[in-house]
Amino acid sequence: MGRTVGIDLGTTYSLVAYMEGGRPRVIPGPYGTPLCPSVVSVDADGSVVVGEPARRRLLTQSDRTIYSAKRLMGRGVADVQEELKLFPFRIDPGSQNVIRVRLGDRVFTPPEISAFILRELKSWAEDFFKEPVDRAVVTVPAYFNDAQRQATKDAGRLAGLDVLRLVNEPTAAALAYGLHEKQRGLVAVYDFGGGTFDISILKLVSTGQGDIYQVLATNGDTHLGGDDIDNALRATEWEEIRKSGLNGFSRTGEDAQVLREAVIAAKHELSVVDKTFVKFPAPDGGWYKREITREEFERAIAPIIERTIGPVKLALADSHLQPAQIEEVVLVGGSTRIPMVRRRVEDFFGRKPHFELNPDEVVALGAAVQADILESGVKNMLLLDVTPLSLGIETMGGVIAKIIPRNSTIPASAQELYTTGVDNQTGIDIHVLQGERELAKDCRSLARFQLRIPPAPAGHARVEVKFLIDANGILQVHARDLRTAEARSVEVQPSYGLSDTEVEKMLEDSIEYAEQDFSERQLIEARTEAESILLATSKALADDVATELAPDEPRDIDAAISLLRAAMMGSDYKLVRARVDALNQATMHLAELMMNRVLHVAVEGKRLEEV
Amino acid sequence: MDATTKTEVVCWSCHAAHSGGHFCAACGKIQPLPRGTDYFVLFGLPQKLWMDCAELEKLFHQLSWKLHPDNFVRASEYERELSLERSSQLNDAYRALRDPVSRVEYLLAHAGMRKEGAAKQQAPPELLEEVFELNESLDELRLVRASSRDGAELAALKQRLDVEEKKFEAKLREVDEELKRIAREWDTALDAGADAQQGMALMARMNDVLNRRSYIRNLVANVQKELAEA
Repeated sequence: MGRTVGIDLGTTYSLVAYMEGGRPRVIPGPYGTPLCPSVVSVDADGSVVVGEPARRRLLTQSDRTIYSAKRLMGRGVADVQEELKLFPFRIDPGSQNVIRVRLGDRVFTPPEISAFILRELKSWAEDFFKEPVDRAVVTVPAYFNDAQRQATKDAGRLAGLDVLRLVNEPTAAALAYGLHEKQRGLVAVYDFGGGTFDISILKLVSTGQGDIYQVLATNGDTHLGGDDIDNALRATEWEEIRKSGLNGFSRTGEDAQVLREAVIAAKHELSVVDKTFVKFPAPDGGWYKREITREEFERAIAPIIERTIGPVKLALADSHLQPAQIEEVVLVGGSTRIPMVRRRVEDFFGRKPHFELNPDEVVALGAAVQADILESGVKNMLLLDVTPLSLGIETMGGVIAKIIPRNSTIPASAQELYTTGVDNQTGIDIHVLQGERELAKDCRSLARFQLRIPPAPAGHARVEVKFLIDANGILQVHARDLRTAEARSVEVQPSYGLSDTEVEKMLEDSIEYAEQDFSERQLIEARTEAESILLATSKALADDVATELAPDEPRDIDAAISLLRAAMMGSDYKLVRARVDALNQATMHLAELMMNRVLHVAVEGKRLEEV
Repeated sequence: MDATTKTEVVCWSCHAAHSGGHFCAACGKIQPLPRGTDYFVLFGLPQKLWMDCAELEKLFHQLSWKLHPDNFVRASEYERELSLERSSQLNDAYRALRDPVSRVEYLLAHAGMRKEGAAKQQAPPELLEEVFELNESLDELRLVRASSRDGAELAALKQRLDVEEKKFEAKLREVDEELKRIAREWDTALDAGADAQQGMALMARMNDVLNRRSYIRNLVANVQKELAEA
């Protein structure tokens, strides 16, 4: 068996790290730096070039080269229309729910492109260790959804790596900092990278067994990063170029990359000096050169930096904390080198943030720490992370029933009981979504599937479906027939990722009790209520206590159930409510039997286990 | 029969009989989760509504150390599944029990006694007048906003709504206090060996309070939203 490493698969740069003597270290590549540009280029002969040489080709063969492909992970064509205006992605016309990108005359999916980068890092590590590397912990933005995580895992598999765990980037950073600084208490990790922004609020606790890193809440924007700053600078610079009367300089192709490199260089310099030049070789053989001050730079990027504050406030609110209660603030990601970002964060929290560890490396270092924990089995740290978005299923009326709320510690699960509505129904359609809004149409579809049911009279089938979010933040679905106790296989068709606009819109509008048309809401609520009593009744009927019912009672209950189901098909909420009451009457005795048992268990204070 | 009342099960690995806990006492292997395990039982707690939250968190952390999938990365596939099942249920249980209100919600739901009822739609009788006033102010606010002319009028209206909203926040605190009182009664009744009738009566009262609470919370959330938009 080969070695295990930690990998930060970043939008702009990727890194690989390992643990040595209780300390995480990054592995330098062939160019002496541990930063591998996340750029992939394909030669005319089909051979693939990754990293620094590929980055250089952006200037010479931009149509065969791709950067920031992480933005496409787990998304459909409809999701990335906005990106296409700003990024030179050449999407194959045949793409739909999985994007296919054209590089020269070949076509790749985003996981395949990420896999090239992972394979490159794997070879760096193998050259370094002089032995094979086949397992890795890979980091993802905390705000990545199910599809984006799945795509990342797929990339690992394509690269020949067994992905032991996906770890959220800010959490990985906290792990590296915790090891370095021995931090305790409430910590905020502000992770502003090349393409994504995450904020995570953690509680670090020392226990007898070791340190626990418990994430209280996370929030973010998977479409907000250094790329957006670069694009803003390019837009202003393009206006200046036009005004300067520079001839023959194009807004697209290689010229666009020349301009991009020039504004990035200026951005980096302005973190250190107060003024510099945007300069690049002009098509006429001379140089284009324009002075830019830090003041002008900050004016251009202020709106982008301000966009990070909304998610920060939401994460704090979900943690039930005020900014002043945060004891340590940690900065992660290359964009936190910008002095204005540091000032804004310091203003918000009222304390100086930490940036002792290299913000480009800290995520990879944390991934190496987690890889070591999983690999060695010797554990003095435990990460308890959360799911960033609520998981829901579509119910009647297109309303979402949230079954796992956002910021639930993972693994997390929820069970739902399903039964048939008509005789000999052989399938039940289930639609799983992620998001914070009330209606299915406003949330993002994750998957649809059909439960297969053997033909039987209506209401006879009782299938329990378990929705589980695993430690990677990825959804698993299991079904089980309660009458036969048989597990049923579920074939889940993923619907792919969320668009950023959608994620953002979902959150903005995520007021828990958004206002709705009164009667629509009445009906939806009556149906919900009906569903909850139907569920409770089926549970009770499936229970052993049901055998204690008088012979005619189950028949009466079934009749009340059928009447209620019929009413639920209609739109008269008063009728639904009346029949709910009738069912309540019919199940009175059953409820009493259940209660007796609860009390029986309760008074004994039964201890199922000795911990 | 209910799994939580079962006393003996057999370990899937070494076939020794054990108590149905997280691990087999004989071989130490993680065990499958009995169906329908009660969240209180999972933590080894009686079904009482008063809890020391720091103590609960400590139990949660202790169990997390043992059950988390991190411990089973190199175990068999079956053990990995069991760890996933156990640790997810632990997290679900902690989420339900750590908050006093969701704890009551869980207790009632698990006993089949959580009924949202028509009360969710209707203002509790003692609040009728205030709800009426509040709705009037909200209508006015929407009107003024739609016409968008008088800044001073809007400000005054917002202030009035804010005062009215604060009243409902106070009501919410009262309701929470009431829930706490009944919760204490429940704990006492358990200690005293209450019968089913008493248990159901207490649960029905808690159910009523929960319904009233969610009505008021809806109201407060709506007003806050309108105020934020205005």
